[in-house]
Amino acid sequence: MSDNAARRLSRMFYRISIAIEAGKDHLSDLDGAIGDADHGITMSLGFMAVNAELAKLDLDHMLASDVFTAAASAFLDAVGASTGPLYATAFRRAAQALKQDERLSAAGQAAIVEAMTTGIKERGKGQRGDKTMLDAWIPATEAAVSACARAAGSRDMWKSILEAAEAGANSTRSMVAARGRAARLGERSLGHMDPGAASAVIILRAMKDTFGEDAAK
Amino acid sequence: MIVKAPSARKNGTVRAGAEAGTEPIPLRYGDDPYVWACWLYYEDRMTQGDIADIMGISRATVNSYLADARARGIVNISLEPSRLSSLSIAQELKRHFGLHDCLVVPSDDNARPLIDRLGGAAAQALAKLLKSGDTLAVAWGRTVLAIGEQASVPGLQDVTVVQATGGTRASFAYTPELCAAAIASAVDGKLINITAPAVVSTAEVRDMLLRETLIESQFAALAKANKALFGISSLRPNSTIHTSGFFESVSLQQYLAKDAVGVVAGRFIDGQGNPVAGPLDDRTIGISLDRLKAIGLRIAVAGGFDKVPAILAALRGGYVNVLITDAATGRGILNADGVTELDQKLSQRPRLDNTVALPSNFRTHIKKFLNDPDDVVEEMLDGVVKAHAAYIEPIKGSHRALVARTGPRPGKVGLVIGGGTGHEPCFLGYVGKGLADAVAVGNIFSSPPPGTIFQCANAASGGQGVLFVYGNYAGDVMNFEMAAEIAAEHNIEVRTVVTTDDIASSPLEDREGRRGVAGNFFMFKIAGAACDRGLSLDACEAVTRKANARTFTMGVALEPCSLPQTRRHNFEIGPDDIEIGMGIHGEPGVIRERMMSADAITDRIMDRIFSEMKPAAGDRVAVLINSFGATPLMELYILFRRVAQRLSAKDITIEANWVGHYCTSLDMVGASITVLHLDNELTELLHHPCDTAVLRVG
Repeated sequence: MSDNAARRLSRMFYRISIAIEAGKDHLSDLDGAIGDADHGITMSLGFMAVNAELAKLDLDHMLASDVFTAAASAFLDAVGASTGPLYATAFRRAAQALKQDERLSAAGQAAIVEAMTTGIKERGKGQRGDKTMLDAWIPATEAAVSACARAAGSRDMWKSILEAAEAGANSTRSMVAARGRAARLGERSLGHMDPGAASAVIILRAMKDTFGEDAAK
Repeated sequence: MIVKAPSARKNGTVRAGAEAGTEPIPLRYGDDPYVWACWLYYEDRMTQGDIADIMGISRATVNSYLADARARGIVNISLEPSRLSSLSIAQELKRHFGLHDCLVVPSDDNARPLIDRLGGAAAQALAKLLKSGDTLAVAWGRTVLAIGEQASVPGLQDVTVVQATGGTRASFAYTPELCAAAIASAVDGKLINITAPAVVSTAEVRDMLLRETLIESQFAALAKANKALFGISSLRPNSTIHTSGFFESVSLQQYLAKDAVGVVAGRFIDGQGNPVAGPLDDRTIGISLDRLKAIGLRIAVAGGFDKVPAILAALRGGYVNVLITDAATGRGILNADGVTELDQKLSQRPRLDNTVALPSNFRTHIKKFLNDPDDVVEEMLDGVVKAHAAYIEPIKGSHRALVARTGPRPGKVGLVIGGGTGHEPCFLGYVGKGLADAVAVGNIFSSPPPGTIFQCANAASGGQGVLFVYGNYAGDVMNFEMAAEIAAEHNIEVRTVVTTDDIASSPLEDREGRRGVAGNFFMFKIAGAACDRGLSLDACEAVTRKANARTFTMGVALEPCSLPQTRRHNFEIGPDDIEIGMGIHGEPGVIRERMMSADAITDRIMDRIFSEMKPAAGDRVAVLINSFGATPLMELYILFRRVAQRLSAKDITIEANWVGHYCTSLDMVGASITVLHLDNELTELLHHPCDTAVLRVG
């Protein structure tokens, strides 16, 4: 079956949802150590809403960018919280990036990661080292950009994106939170992985599985 | 791990093998407490409390042994494969379509006709889903009748069953009248039939009939339906729609020509679930698709492979949020919608990577008044809207955006507040005359989304601008900022005061980084009074900023809170520890200390407050002693007593005080103390009359 780009993205969101659901309790436990223990629930709610919205759409006649736009509003309306605006803005930026090229080539996939990171940065006014999801997204973007520069294939690129994101998320253990509710804890946030960075890795892994599988066909 | 001898055993609590006068030698299972606990639990079927007594350990430890034993593979729980598969299909359907619930009948049991099996499953589900006081709209069909024949739901009170469509002169067994009657008798409910034909000869006749008082009253009853039960019909040649003679076949052809794939409650839909316009629309008497969608619980019961496109269409259109079907149909629906993960999921189920070690005193069972934990916010809001109907009403039917009945008016600055739930009576209790005009409501401890906040701004706007007042949390700031951007696009001027009263949350030099907690109470009161007095947007903003700068709060938690969805504590605290500097979201505090006396705790807080407030003798303050949820008034008064002593010793007068639940954190044990350092202007605004569900002045 040759899927169009919209269907591939829908499958990607579906995989993300399953992966987030599986890691829900773990994410909430991480959040309980430094926050209010709802990160897993919030993320799961958001991606469930994205799935429910995408299920209603006629994907065969949609562009990839439309899928991200629909995902943005569904996620935002369902979630609010802080992850709502952050990921909604990320999805909107991804939609804008895809309007240049709707085909989901390896370069297009890298552009998605880069645009999402830009959106999260803008909305949250954050940067690397704040102990947030950006500590996974920024290294992931750097890996994507450099993979593009060396004209790596999709599978190769996603492998390096995920490795960079995992290393970035792990590095949040040794950081003191600068943003979000955990920031109020000061040095007590030391030693715990940031739940936002952990969920970013889950998302990127599901993206890798989706695009990597497509590339293998 | 050393297991103590079973000396802690209590009289009569042991059910296994305790003969009179003889203490049985406990089986130690190679000194493995996990195996021992599991044996007692799964084989001897003892309660965790009894096991704790026998093993001489705490019940929480037993609980963690049992959980660990499963994680380590000591205990394996297996499900019968066909049941597991139908369960997985149900889960996938639920997830994929965002359903409230889904029940899938195993497909391998072909002893009875599918309609009977679906009817039986739905009959059981109905017993769980239907509650006293419900109004259930019932459509017609073979499956619905099968439910009526098999259901028996005793013990309900005040259930009304309303026929969802008009009737028919056709003489089949499952007419709308008979279906509604069968369900009504099964649930012992009051039956309301629609005493008009489902399809009449012309649009004029329909309009005339709908104006008839009797039929009007029947439709009024239908409009009250909070639950709906219906089948889904396909438009295949042998389907009920064709064979029943319910519809004229000429009309059916016209709907088919327009790509109709199914019928829901007598209305035609296409593959995406959109209504299909056709010759019968103006001549149909019955529930509309829009009205059906607005019903809270929409239970569809349908199965059979030929119905896959119709059921998929109904799901896509959002007409269904509880689906009862069979495994083959469920799998077909998922495959038709491009879901292929199911099969691989059946073979490899995701394993939880639980790297966060839980302490052994971790309690896993917390009791709460809940129905479905996922519905906790909606159900609370449903109750709130009913309880406080005198003060608030939903904006455009949404319980997430509530507006004051007597708040917004032309020429007045609108005040919009909001935030996550779990803080009740914050924030919705402060909406009414003289206080906030509208409130945006989020999920538990989560900011509402921008769309909801904008709806509030729009409803609160009286042409003089809108003031947003909310606590300083990253999520709230982002969502309210996005809402302000939307408001600007609609020419509503928005100013924002982000509250930062929690003095424990950041040092003084980072005042702007502090979070907003129970002191919101005072900021809302001052802002509401300023708006009610008709001050300009500038003036309202300025005085609210002043109130924020002069409000000081500090909280202490004794025990953590638990979230309804996890029913677990969101952090752990030692038996003798307290958290000073606790926020209102159950975030851990800033310092953890040993438990101390009420006066010592109050002094710690008041010392910090005085150091920032720098009061002079003769100053006036307002005081708020606020429970985090589980701390009773008794203890709050003890705190207030000491606060009053400390203030009096500095010759500070308490102008006004409030003691109670004003900004909670679910069921957290703890309290916060807030002091508002008054001046003349703030004193005047504090005494300005207001009338809301929770706060009344004047």
